[in-house]
Amino acid sequence: MRKIGMALAIVAVMSGPVATAQTAYAAQTSHDTNTYTQPAVPVGPKVTMLDCRGTTGDMGCGPGWFWRDGWRGWACYPC
Amino acid sequence: MKIRTMAGGLATAAVMTFGGFGYAAAQPGDFSTLPIDPNLITDSLAYNAAPAVFNPNGQPGVETVYTHRDGSRTITSTILVLPDPAAATAALDGARAGLAGTVANGKSQPAAVGSGGTILTGMSPDGSKSITVLSFGEGNTATTIEFAGAPKDPVPSDLVLELGRKQDTAIRDWQAA
Repeated sequence: MRKIGMALAIVAVMSGPVATAQTAYAAQTSHDTNTYTQPAVPVGPKVTMLDCRGTTGDMGCGPGWFWRDGWRGWACYPC
Repeated sequence: MKIRTMAGGLATAAVMTFGGFGYAAAQPGDFSTLPIDPNLITDSLAYNAAPAVFNPNGQPGVETVYTHRDGSRTITSTILVLPDPAAATAALDGARAGLAGTVANGKSQPAAVGSGGTILTGMSPDGSKSITVLSFGEGNTATTIEFAGAPKDPVPSDLVLELGRKQDTAIRDWQAA
């Protein structure tokens, strides 16, 4: 009988915080003051347009320049 | 008698030298070396030169047409060698007046090339080509360099000035030779 009483006491002590938490959660759902942040969407590979072809150019002309056969022959020309 | 003949020859030579005002004496009559090849300022193979035309339109000088290897661009250099600077100026004025009929919507601006350098930019009358004409004088010479390309591919102004200045230098060197 004494063992049964001890067991009941232990169960009561363990279940107490759980019941309290449920009550607290129920109260929070109706008055939520927390600020939730939208998680960032993973971004895929980013391409930076460096020249007319979106690359550094066939001959390394660099941003804003384009390798072609123009007035000066084969050379880097502005896009 | 021999001395008298030599003296007469020297006098004649002196008259010929000074009578030329420094220009005629420098003109051996061979104009073939006057035009500057645009390949000097390109990748060296971009343009093909047509055979030079001497005394174009009956005027003393030379005209050479350089065509880009892709056929879409031409550079036409015309250098007239006239009796004196006044005649060269008159020839330039005439050439510029004539451009009014071949360059539509032309815009003219001064260019730091030679004497009285001018750049005229516009389109061909039918709109099929972009046209830029550099004209300048140097002593007794009158030079026009015409650049013709696709409507959306006008010649860069820095190339016009660079080629024009090289041409001007070549003319001065030729006159001083």
